[in-house]
Amino acid sequence: MKKSLWMLLSLVLVMSMLLTACGTKGASEDVTVKFFHKWPEPEQLEYYNYVIAEFQKTHPNIKIEMEAASDEAYKDKIRILMSSGEVPDIYFSWAGEFSWKFARAGQALDITDALMNSDWKDKIVLSAVEPYKVDGKIYGVPMRINAKFMVYNKDIFAQYNLTPPTTWDEFLAVSKTLKDAGVTPVGFGNEFPWASAHYVGDFNAKLVEGTVLKADYLLTAEPDKLFTDPGYVEALTRFKMLGDLGYFNDGANGISHSNARSSFMAGKVGMFYCELEEFVTINQEFQNFGFFQLPGGTGGAGDQKLLTGAPDGFMVYGKTEHPAEAIEFLKFLTSPEMGKEYVKRLGIPSAAVGAVSADNALPTVVEGLNAINNASGMALWMDTDMNIKIVEVYLPGMQAVLSGSKTPEQVMQEVHDIAVTVQAELKSQ
Amino acid sequence: MAVKSNEKASLPGGLHRSIVQTRINRVLAYIVFGIAMLIVIYPLLWVLTNSFKTDTQLFDQSWALPKVFKWENYVTAWKYGIARYILNSVIVTVGTVVLNLGISIMASYALSRFKFKGQNLLLFFILGGLMLAPEVALIPLFRILSFLGIYNTYLAMILPNLAFGIPFTTFLIRSYMLGLPKDFEEAATLDGASTAGIFYHVVVPLCRPILASAALLDAMRVWNEFMFGLTFITSDKLKTIPVGLMAFSGALREQYTVVMAGLIISALPMIILFLLTQKQFIRGLAAGGLRG
Amino acid sequence: MNSLRFRKKLTPYLLLLPAIIVMLVFVYLPIVENIYYSLFRWSSIDPTMKFIDIQNYTRIFKDTIIGGALKNNVLYSVISVIFQVFISLVLAAILESRIIRHRWANIFRNTLFMPAVLAITVVGITFQLIYSPNSGLLNQLLRGIGLDSLAHAWLGEEGTAIYAIIAVSQWQWVGYDMILFIVAIQAIPDELYEAAKIDGASGLQQFFNITIPMVRETILVLSTITVIGGFKVFDIVWVMTAGGPNNASQTLGGYLYRVGFRNDEMGYASALATLLFLITLALTFIQLRIGRTGKEA
Repeated sequence: MKKSLWMLLSLVLVMSMLLTACGTKGASEDVTVKFFHKWPEPEQLEYYNYVIAEFQKTHPNIKIEMEAASDEAYKDKIRILMSSGEVPDIYFSWAGEFSWKFARAGQALDITDALMNSDWKDKIVLSAVEPYKVDGKIYGVPMRINAKFMVYNKDIFAQYNLTPPTTWDEFLAVSKTLKDAGVTPVGFGNEFPWASAHYVGDFNAKLVEGTVLKADYLLTAEPDKLFTDPGYVEALTRFKMLGDLGYFNDGANGISHSNARSSFMAGKVGMFYCELEEFVTINQEFQNFGFFQLPGGTGGAGDQKLLTGAPDGFMVYGKTEHPAEAIEFLKFLTSPEMGKEYVKRLGIPSAAVGAVSADNALPTVVEGLNAINNASGMALWMDTDMNIKIVEVYLPGMQAVLSGSKTPEQVMQEVHDIAVTVQAELKSQ
Repeated sequence: MAVKSNEKASLPGGLHRSIVQTRINRVLAYIVFGIAMLIVIYPLLWVLTNSFKTDTQLFDQSWALPKVFKWENYVTAWKYGIARYILNSVIVTVGTVVLNLGISIMASYALSRFKFKGQNLLLFFILGGLMLAPEVALIPLFRILSFLGIYNTYLAMILPNLAFGIPFTTFLIRSYMLGLPKDFEEAATLDGASTAGIFYHVVVPLCRPILASAALLDAMRVWNEFMFGLTFITSDKLKTIPVGLMAFSGALREQYTVVMAGLIISALPMIILFLLTQKQFIRGLAAGGLRG
Repeated sequence: MNSLRFRKKLTPYLLLLPAIIVMLVFVYLPIVENIYYSLFRWSSIDPTMKFIDIQNYTRIFKDTIIGGALKNNVLYSVISVIFQVFISLVLAAILESRIIRHRWANIFRNTLFMPAVLAITVVGITFQLIYSPNSGLLNQLLRGIGLDSLAHAWLGEEGTAIYAIIAVSQWQWVGYDMILFIVAIQAIPDELYEAAKIDGASGLQQFFNITIPMVRETILVLSTITVIGGFKVFDIVWVMTAGGPNNASQTLGGYLYRVGFRNDEMGYASALATLLFLITLALTFIQLRIGRTGKEA
């Protein structure tokens, strides 16, 4: 028995070593570029496989190794990878602070030259590149554009003689009508609290004056002023009010965003706050919906016409061994040809010039993109726009405000405290 | 504790009362266990029946039987890569268990049959691992594995799991060995056998029962392991079931019934293995188990 | 002759060598390194390490989340002991009392054990689905029998989240512990029970006077393992809620993971890991103490 045990043992050892060796070396001529993104859904994987296949046709000696992790898992994974030194050559990054921290730590390649000194710059919507800039240098390139809209069920609205609201008070009135009639006004799934951040972020942008907001988010304000603007408390109060008045479904903190979306698709709620990229998903089951921007109110210090949204894109690893090949693939990925295909298959606006048109996108998506282009500006996703340590206090705080276990004032006090700490930490580095 | 009903003949009153009591107790016992069984089985049955439904059917009445059996759910789950996760779990589990048994049986032999300097210290060294939480080693292990160049490989899962599994396995085997009579070994020594010979031909075969149950217990632990898999493996091709399932359910978030199909596929191997080996398992535990 | 004796003397050490090497590299070395890392500030994104002395440790005292996390760990341990030690002992005693026919006893035993062989994510995701507020089994059942008011967002409400998770752990492990007790009870000589029966002892009296004292060792060991388990817990919480909502179901293990791999604070995570290490160390010593005094008694 012992002999067979040893045989089995050595077999397993040999097997595992072979298998590990297999993964790492390819043919010596070829270059392998590792590509990591956050869309493991089957339809998305199909698209990316298509892009890779097309790329290989013209670049047979560049192999692309793709990995994907879903939204929440991605946030852990990318850090784990950076820690282990096995950073992918191309990786997804949210715009704003999320990408800047990589740039600061030298984990992202400066691609200003590659982008601006070639025809690449004509193929991308340049305004979408802005959030990936640090000190005037470009570290990431956008692949798609996303914004947050309130979609509404046209049938339900018609049933109660409602029109899409254009002001905050109108929005409240519409919600009240629905609530009184026994229909849940807004479907809301806050299990992962980025969902509430999209509301609060929107309110922040509309209730706090622009330069003050920037100074707070970027931690350039005076320590005792950080996040002390009354607009922040007002934003949280507004959010809390929606919950208290019963305009959200029950148990929002326990339902996932996609679960809430399913409720909207099943016709069970009147409205749903979602991203432009979800229009296609909704359309699969339910077609009669429209959308409006979350309205501003009167008297807010910020820009009432700001639209919450951001580009999504990729960065190149700062210490990559294959910068030229990585950039080559990235250029291909963000080209108008691939962009058109992206829109056609997935219905999400690409950041490539001219990719979205009536031929390949839903009318609502085209309208959405127009709304983006016509908005006076974009407020980025709040949870990627500020330092992660602040996010980790702010977001649970929103859940607490919704459930009533903390007051808006308490939460902002905590946010202020952590902001002061983080600011001091960054200064000491 | 049980009184056979045909013994009630001779003694009056008290015994008769206790027989009725026994009958009541028996009914109660069945009820208690019946409820327990229900609590244990129903969730699994619920997942099983719903794995054949469409998502809308799930929303409406989730405890009803499916109207049509949607086998496509299983095909989708399988095609997404559940098969790969199962294979990886098997490779990691078999690798770890085999190495663990080999190393632990040698250690147990040393610690039960020999007197040598530092034996108590070494015993404590190995059994000390029992009380340590793997989380404590997580971050340093992470760096060690990168340093050794085996990060994101099967070895990255096998070696840490092995290290944390040796204490308990050694404990089991050693306890068992301590209870083994030394006659056979002494006879073999008299016959002129070498230490190695005694080990291979006498001790190891005698330990078969405990080796079987140690193997099964360790397999259960490794199959279940999540934290190391989450942190030390990033490539989807290498993920084991616990970690792969999480990725799978994250990717197919809204397709609940497909996720359920995936759950059933992942649970089947272990359930089948258990059903086939339960007797050995329990017998082994009894022979060497938690006593002493 | 001399070399043979030398080789013979060397044997135990050689036999122990693989175990020692593996454990040294992958268990003990990390623990020491962990303490070293906890004295620095560094993150996964920016691995330059900055020595900050014991600041990570003083921070533990100021951290508002840790209190809640440790409280959850304690809840976990206490509730787990109640179910996984006491209730499983009672169940084991009933099964071994032969009051239930042998074949049924086997069926009960094997079925109750089955959840233990399921992978942690299978269990976690299954119950996530079951606890789902709208389409989940639990709420649908409650609504079906008219107990609508009891329907909660089990994993989404701060008051119920951790309890919902603890319940799942019990579901998974009671059967396993029950079998360990069955094995221990089977080792008790029948004569003890026979003698008690003749003396007129009732079933309950036999349980308290014979069964419990005779499985004392198992109770002790299992209790310690369960309590330590309540502090080590990570997997099931991470899969079901990742510590939310608002850190209501956070545990020490999950918090340390989040701090290290989400908040970019590896140094602080290492300090938390050291805290966990000290807690498990203390608990183990307490168990050894109790065990030793027991033996002397």
